[in-house]
Amino acid sequence: MTMTAGSGDPLVTAAVVGGGPSVQIRDLTVAYRIAGRDMAAVAGIDLELPPGSITGLVGESGSGKSTLALALLGAVQKPGRITTGSIEIDGVGDVVTLAPKAVRKARGAQIGYVFQAAQNSLNPLKTVGRQLLDLAKSHDVDDKQSLVRQAKSLLERMGLDAGRMLDAYQHELSGGMRQRVGIMFALVLNAHLLVLDEPTTALDMISQANILSIIRDVSTDRALTTLVVTHDIGVVAEVSERIAVMYGGRLVEQGPTTQVLRDPKHPYTRGLIRAIPRLHGDPALAQALPGRPPTLGTTPETGCVFRERCDVFARLQLPACVETDPRPTPIDGDRLVSCHAVASEHQQADREARA
Amino acid sequence: MPKAVRQLAGHLLRGLVMVWIVTTFTFVLVHEMPGNPVQAQYESLIEKGFSPDAASRQVAVTYGFVPHGSLWSQYGHYLSRLLHFDLGKSVSAQGVSVAKEVASAAKWTIGLVLAGVVLSFALGVVLGVVAAMRRNSRLGDGLSIAGSLLHGVPQYVMALVLVTLLTVKWPLFSTGDVNGLIQPGFNVAYIASIISHAVLPATAFALSSFGGYLLTMKSSVVSVLGDDFILAAELRGLSPGLVFRYISRNAILPLFTVLALSFGFMFGGAVFIESAFNYPGMGALLVSSIGQRDYSEMSGAFLLITVAVILANIVADLLYTVVDPRVRRASGT
Ligand SMILES: Nc1ncnc2c1ncn2[C@@H]1O[C@H](COP(=O)(O)OP(=O)(O)O)[C@@H](O)[C@H]1O
Ligand SMILES: [Mg+2]
Repeated sequence: MTMTAGSGDPLVTAAVVGGGPSVQIRDLTVAYRIAGRDMAAVAGIDLELPPGSITGLVGESGSGKSTLALALLGAVQKPGRITTGSIEIDGVGDVVTLAPKAVRKARGAQIGYVFQAAQNSLNPLKTVGRQLLDLAKSHDVDDKQSLVRQAKSLLERMGLDAGRMLDAYQHELSGGMRQRVGIMFALVLNAHLLVLDEPTTALDMISQANILSIIRDVSTDRALTTLVVTHDIGVVAEVSERIAVMYGGRLVEQGPTTQVLRDPKHPYTRGLIRAIPRLHGDPALAQALPGRPPTLGTTPETGCVFRERCDVFARLQLPACVETDPRPTPIDGDRLVSCHAVASEHQQADREARA
Repeated sequence: MPKAVRQLAGHLLRGLVMVWIVTTFTFVLVHEMPGNPVQAQYESLIEKGFSPDAASRQVAVTYGFVPHGSLWSQYGHYLSRLLHFDLGKSVSAQGVSVAKEVASAAKWTIGLVLAGVVLSFALGVVLGVVAAMRRNSRLGDGLSIAGSLLHGVPQYVMALVLVTLLTVKWPLFSTGDVNGLIQPGFNVAYIASIISHAVLPATAFALSSFGGYLLTMKSSVVSVLGDDFILAAELRGLSPGLVFRYISRNAILPLFTVLALSFGFMFGGAVFIESAFNYPGMGALLVSSIGQRDYSEMSGAFLLITVAVILANIVADLLYTVVDPRVRRASGT
C-alpha cells in the first residue's frame, strides 16, 4: 500500500531535472502556548513542494496558513514553536534543527519571503536603495554594484521605473509598487524558494491581476519553487499548478490544481469552490459555506476537525468522523484527501473494480 | 521648498503672537500690581525733589512706559521700547540695563538647560530601550517603575534632596556663587566653572525628567517591535544589529514631540532648581527680582524665558521634520 502518493519517484526525478530546491515537510506541528497550554495551529502536516512548481495553499482565515509559511523560515512568532516534525529545504537543510544563525542567513538568500502585509514591509525612514544596501551588508555581499544592477533589472522586469523606486521611501509608493518592491527584495539575492503570504489581498483588481502574472512569469523565468498562501481560491486557480487546502491546522486535500478544481473530493474543498461563482460558472448557484472556521480554542480534539460544518457528516454520521482524525488517502495517483467518507467510498470502488 | 518656508513662517508668526501676549500680560501685571510700582517710583522721585518731567522720564527709563497718560498710550510706549530691545533699567541694581542683566543670566541658564536636556534624553532613551527589550523581566519592570516614580518627583523636591545630600550631608560640591570675575563666553575658565557649578543642577534636571523619556521610549519601542516592517526585515535575513537600528530609529521619533515640550518644562524648572543651587541663571534672577519687587527685571526675565521656550519648540519641530522623511518629503512636493 502506498502511503504518500505525492512523494513518489516522479518528484525525485523532477528535482534532478529542475535543479532548484524542493521542500519536504514531514509531520509538522506548530503550537502556540496560550494560558499554559500548547494549542496546535498546524497539526501533523505532510507537504511537499516539487521543484520549479507553484503551489497554492488555501483555506479560510485562521486555518494556519501563515503559521505554516513562517515555519518554513524558522520564524514562527511567539508564543509559538515547532513541536514536532521536520522541514527539509534543498540547499539549506532541516530548518527545524538548523542553528539560528544559519536560519537567519538562509532567509533572503535561499528563501525569499513576501510578507502578508507587504504594504508595510519597509522601514519608513529609509529609501528602498538604502535598505537594499542593508540587505547586502547582512548577507556579506561584497559586490554591491551588481546587487543594485540585479535589483534594477528585477524592478524593470516588473514594469517599474527602477531608478525612481530605489530613491523612494515606502510612503511614496502605491500598493502595487510596494508589493513588487517586496518581491524584488525576496529575489534579489537569488533565492530559489519563494513564499508569498496573501500577495494580492490588499490590492485593487487591476494590481491583483498584475501581481499574479508577475508571480507566474518570475517563477517560470527563474525556475523557482513557489508557495502562494491565500484565502482566495480564485488566486490559486490562476497561478498554481498544485493546490493544498488547509482547514483547522490540517491539510485536508492536495493535488494538481486543475483536477482538484474540476473534481473536488473533500467536502470542505467542495464548499470553498461552491462559494465562488467565477470558478464553477453559475453566479446564481454561489453558496457561502455555512458556519465558521474553528479557532485554536474551538478545534475539536478528536475526530475530523471539519465535521461540524460537513454536509456529508450531517447525512451519514460516520462514527469514524467523531473518533479519529482522518489521515491523507491517495486518490487518482497524484491526489491526497483526508476524509473518512471519501476514503471508504474509494475503498469500496476499488474493491468493486477488483471483483 | 516653499512649503517648508511657509511652515517656518507659520511657526515664527505663532511665536510672535505668543511673545506679544506675554508682553501684554507683563505690562498689565506691572501696571495693575497692588501698590502700583510705577506710580510709587514716580511719587518717591517727586518727593526727592525731581521735577514731574524729570521724574516721569526716569520712570519711563526703568519700566519702559510713562506713568501717566491713557492706558493705551502707556502701552504703545512700552511696546515701542520693546521693539528696540529696551527692557528698561533694573531697580535693584541701579542703572544697569535689564537687557544686559537678563542676557548674562541667560548664558548660564541655556548651558544648564541644554546639559539637562541632553543628559536626560540620552539616559531616558537608552534605559527605555533596555526596559522595552527586557519588558518581561525584573530589570525591565524595575526600570519602568523607577522611571515613573522619578517622573512624578517635582524638580524642586529633587533639587532640595540633592542639595541636602551632596552639599550639606556629604559636601562633595559647593553651592557658592559662581566666580563673578569670570567672563561668560567661550573660554576655558567659564566652561570649567559652568561644569563644576552645573553638575548638581543638571543632575537634578536629568533625574527629574529622564523618567518621561524612559516611559515614552519604552512604549514606543514596544509598538515598533510589533510593526510589520520589523518582522519583514527579519524575514529578509537582516542582521540583528541592523534590525535593532531600524527599531531604535523609528522608536525615537515620538520623543521629539516630548523634547519640544520638555524645553518649556526645563526653563520653568530653572526657577526652582537655580535658586536651590544658588546658580546665577535666569531662574535665580527671576526669583530675586520677585523678592526685591524689581518689576522691570522680572518682566524682562519672564519675557526672555518665554522667547527661549518658543524658540526651543520651533527647533524641536524643525528637527522632527528633518528626521522623518514622511514629513520632510511631503513638505517638499
Ligand atoms: N502569535 C500568535 N499567538 C497566538 N496565536 C496565534 C498567533 N499567530 C496565529 N495565531 C493563531 O493561530 C491560528 C492560525 O493563524 P494563522 O496561521 O495566522 O492563520 P491564517 O494565516 O490561515 O489566517 C489562528 O487561530 C490564530 O489566532
Ligand atoms: Mg495569514
